[in-house]
Parts: sequence; C-alpha cells; structure tokens
Amino acid sequence: MKIRDISRMAWDQVKRRKVVTGLCMTGISIGCAAIIVALSIGQSAQTYVTDQVNQNFKMDEITVTPGGGIPSRGGGGGGSGESNENLDPGKLTAQKLEIIKSLNHVVAAAPFEDAGYMQMLTVDNKIADVQVKATDLRMLTEFGFKFKQGGVTDLPGMVVLNYGATLGLIDNETRQKLYEQLGADPFNSALMDQYNSMSTLPSEMYRQQVQLQATDYSTSEGNIRLSSALQVGGILSTAEGTDDLRASYEKIMYVSLETAAQLTQQLSFGTNNGMTPNVEENSYKTVTVKVDSTDNIKSVEAIIQKLNLNAMDNLYQQEMLKEQFDMIKMAALGIGVFILIIASISIIVAMTMSTHQRRRQIGIMKVLGANMGQIRNMFITEAALLGLLGGLLGVLFSYLIIMGLNKLVGTAGDSLNFVIPLTTIPVGLAFAIMTGVLSGIYPAISASRTDALTAIKRD
Amino acid sequence: MLRVENIKHSFKTGNEWTTVLHNINFTVNKGEMVALLGSSGSGKSTMLNLMAGLMKPTEGHIYIADHDIVQMGENKLAEFRRKHIGFIFQAYELITSLTVRENVELPLVFQSISPSVRKQKALALLEQVGIPDKADLFPSQLSGGQQQRVSIARSLITEPSVIFADEPTGNLDTKTEEEIIAILLKLNQSLKTTFIVVTHELEVAEQMQRTFSLRDGYLINNQQPPADAESAEGGAG
Repeated sequence: MKIRDISRMAWDQVKRRKVVTGLCMTGISIGCAAIIVALSIGQSAQTYVTDQVNQNFKMDEITVTPGGGIPSRGGGGGGSGESNENLDPGKLTAQKLEIIKSLNHVVAAAPFEDAGYMQMLTVDNKIADVQVKATDLRMLTEFGFKFKQGGVTDLPGMVVLNYGATLGLIDNETRQKLYEQLGADPFNSALMDQYNSMSTLPSEMYRQQVQLQATDYSTSEGNIRLSSALQVGGILSTAEGTDDLRASYEKIMYVSLETAAQLTQQLSFGTNNGMTPNVEENSYKTVTVKVDSTDNIKSVEAIIQKLNLNAMDNLYQQEMLKEQFDMIKMAALGIGVFILIIASISIIVAMTMSTHQRRRQIGIMKVLGANMGQIRNMFITEAALLGLLGGLLGVLFSYLIIMGLNKLVGTAGDSLNFVIPLTTIPVGLAFAIMTGVLSGIYPAISASRTDALTAIKRD
Repeated sequence: MLRVENIKHSFKTGNEWTTVLHNINFTVNKGEMVALLGSSGSGKSTMLNLMAGLMKPTEGHIYIADHDIVQMGENKLAEFRRKHIGFIFQAYELITSLTVRENVELPLVFQSISPSVRKQKALALLEQVGIPDKADLFPSQLSGGQQQRVSIARSLITEPSVIFADEPTGNLDTKTEEEIIAILLKLNQSLKTTFIVVTHELEVAEQMQRTFSLRDGYLINNQQPPADAESAEGGAG
C-alpha cells in the first residue's frame, strides 16, 4: 500500500470524524503549546538573565591577581617599601603585565586598581560618593568603554567619570537633610520618590573641576583631607538598556596610575583603612585582561598561571546559569510531556471508539485483501496526522500565549521580552506527532486484529 | 479451480459441539458459474465463509487454484484473497466516505497499484456494469441496484480466480434482481471468471450452470460438471 494512499485515507477519516478529530487535536495542542511555551519562557528568561549577568560580569575578561606563596608586598597587602621579585615570585609586576599583553588572543591588559570609595566635590559644592579606580586611561576604549563626552587622556590630574558619577550630585546640606528625613520615616513613598528623582538628577561634569575628599574614621575627630583639583576629561556611556536609576547606583572615577600615586600621597592618613587610595607604581593588585573570545579564556588563563599569578574569569557565572536553566527547561519539558500524556489518553479513548465504530469497514477491507500491517498503518497514520494537526494548532496557541504574556510583562514595565525560538517549534511538533503515534498504537493493533467475519456479520 | 474435500465444521455451544457441515465434497471448474442453494440454517453461509478463508473448517481441505487455503496464516490468506478472490455482498458493503470509483479501486490500493492504472481499470469496469456516469458519486447517492453494480465492479478489479457472491440479490426488488443476475451471467461469459453464488432463491440458482444444494449441513444435490470440464469429485453428506 502506497504512503500516498494511506495518507489520503487517513486524511479522509480525519476530515470525516470531526468530533473525534476536534477532541484529539485539542488535547494534543494544549500539550504541544505547553512544551513550546515552557521552552520559550525558559530560553527567554535565560537570554534575559545572561544579558544582565554579561552587563555586570564581562565574560571575555580575566581578573589577574598576585600569586600565592611568600606574601607579596605589591599584591593584596599593599604598602610601600622595597620588594624583591626573587623572594616574591607571585608579585604582579609591570614586566609581567607586558608579557600578558603580548600573549596570543589577548586584546588588552591593564591594571584596574580599586583605590576605594571617596567623596567627590564639585566647584559648586555638590557631593557624591564615588569608587576610584586607577588604570591606564588610554586603555579604556580597548576594554570596550565608550565615551559619551571627551575621550582618552593621560595628562596628570585628568579623570574619567562613568555616566553614573554624573547623576545625583547634590549639595551636602540637602543630602544630609534628606538622609535624616528618610531615617525618621523610611516607608514614606513621597520621600523615596524625591530621593530617587534626586539620585538621577544629571549634572554637566565634562571639563569641570572636582576634588576628592577622604575622611579618617579611625579618629573621633574625623579628620578630612582634600586632594588637589582634578579635571574631568571624559564621561563614559552606560551599557545599553541601563536606565538612569540603575546607572546612578554605580559611580566610578577612573584615574591614571600616576594620579592615583599622587592621591595616595595627598589623602593617605598613614594607616590603610581602605578608604584612601594606596597604589604602588610598577606593582599591581589587580590587572584585567580582555581576551578575543570566551573560547580562549581558559588557555590564556593557563599561561597567566604559569607566571605565578592567580587568574579568575566569570565563565562560572554562565555555567552556573546554564545548569540552573537546564534544570528549569527539563522541568518545563516534563510539565509539557505530562500534559501530552494526559492528552494521549484522550486520543487512545477517541481512536479506540473510532475503531469500534469502524469495525465493519475494517472487516470489509480485510475481506477485500487488506492485511494486518496495512490496517495498522492506516490507523497509526491517522493518529500521527491527528498529532500533527494538534501540534500545528499548539504552535498557534503558543504564539497567542506568548503574545499575551508579553502584553502582561509589558504592562508591568519589565524589559523582559518572551520570544519563541524557532528551534522549539519542531520540538513541540515532534512531541505532538510522537504522542499521536504512540497513542495510536493500541487502537491500530486492536483494529488490525479485528476478525473480518465477525465484523461484516449482520445481526 | 476450486476443490472442497471432506469439509466438516462444528462449533461449541456451552458444553456441546454442533456440526453445521458434514463431509462436504465438490469441485467447481474454471469459468463455471455455480449456485450454492439452501434455506436459512442450511450451512451455505458457513460454507461460503470457509471457501473465502474467513474461517477455518474443523476438518478437510479447500483448494483454490491449487492452493490449500486451510493451511494459510492470516496474512498469507489476506494476500491470497487480494489476488485470487472477489467478493459480492448482499448489503453491497461499500465505503461511504469513498466515491464510486474509489470504492471500485480499493482492492488495488492494497496491492500498491499506481493511481492511473487503478483509475483506468475502475472506469472500464463501471462501463461494463452499466454505470460509467456514476464514477464520482458517493454510494449514498445511488440506488440499491446501482450500489450492487459497484460491488460487482469492485469484485472484478483484481481479476480474481473466483468470485463469491453472498445473496447478491437479497436486498433487491425483482426487476433489479433480474438485472444483476443478467450482469453476472454476462460477465461470466465475457471474462470467464468463476462465480459461486450463494442464494436461497431457486429462481436465481436455476440460472446458474450447476447448483449445489445444502440442507441441514449436508450436500444433497451435487450436479456433475459438464463432460468437457476438468474431472470432478462429488460427495454428499
């Protein structure tokens, strides 16, 4: 019997038995839609969270710190004084930085020394807490930073601010007052709104003069020291999709290593309390290495480790997320399959009923020469066709569900957008057809075993 | 062509065995048209079902084209039926979802014959049974006589060795009955196909070349085949 004939006869039956077809299609379409929607939600959430993680943790970067062994003066502990590399092989020196820069697959390498949090003062007495990072300012663009205003500069006393550092600059008096009010009434939404709007208030900082202020909290007097005047030579752009409020949470001032050394002298209180810059020349606490592809991260790391240095990447974040999302996907798939199993019961019932109703027809076909295999194939093809139709309806349903979900999420103001990856459609259809075929096996076997004589006998 | 040897058939009801056919023996030659005559309960339908391979006898052998169908398994029998046996039912038994032409083609579908060949053969047979214009209609759009003509065309499409007609005129009025018998006789003459017509009507049986009469499971009248035909054995129960 030709496939075309079997398919045509199956199609005739599907068209003819509208109620059975409708029942079976409904069951399968729900299961198929559940699988597609579940996989799509899992995939969309994974993409969303991965994007978020990528914004915070750059996956193509390696953080290099001094290696272990004999305690390093330049590494971890900081401090000043002589150091002997022979005694301290784990030290992260300028020489090692040059070696790292010359490695294959390394796009850029530069120290990013965290010089602590300080208050930034503008000429009009506005104030903001900023994190000071000492680096080679000329390398910023190599690390993917884009300038909103200004550009690369290595002149002494020049600083670069990220966009967040230009937001929420307010005078000390207003700031203290607002803090006190919030402290007294922390659940006052009007005050919170006022605080949020002030936090995102932009200030024109490009080419402005600023000073850094360090406070010695180790003494009861709280001695304050001010740095020399610094000029803002550039403002960095924010990452795509980051709103002002979120940008305002991260205020960073990038200074050159030379400027950082000056600040160390100007603002140091002699004790390292973590709130004053403490940067040593030619020896680094942290170097960031940008690699051309995440595929090469591990090989570059291996070479760096041979220099007696510690290398740490952010790939574990992705792996951790992948494991979590794989679990979510499996759970979603499980739910879809469970629904399909329930749906398959409806097909088994409907098709078994159909087999009984068509016993006479099966009997006639057998008398006319149809063998058991041909009868079985006719029923299995019919079930597969029901699965396919249910699957197609399920695809339509899943698009409607995803549209509805996107409207719902859109109303909630979240930037999460659900999409149906094209790869999930064949998965959903395959499950639907498989459910049809598996559900059709019992009715098909039952049909093929119909006794022709009993079937054609009339009472 | 068809040889029935020592056929006995019994079935169990409760703890008792009832024999419905007793030592039946007869032979039908190629191209013959014979009647299997009997009243209700005579065993004629059981005999037909045994000859068509739809059930197995308790004892004996049935040879069609020198093949013992009693020894065949279900799938082998299906294949054999497909090639060698045609069926005409009292109630026509057409598939209502298929057109007239598709119904006629159906046995060839199970033989994987190409659609163009099927169509050509089906149309030729519909012409022979006198309803060439009904090819695209559905069975429900035809009269009883026309449906039986479709059933006859369907039985002939595989060019079988033998056609079993089970009360082919049982559901028809007298005029249509005559028409159908005339068609069967004409086809027997033109195609030289062997026909075995099961009937309870003497008038129908009388139009056949030979008649085997059954009563209470015994063959009571076994007319010998014509002298020029193959040798035949007779046997009465």
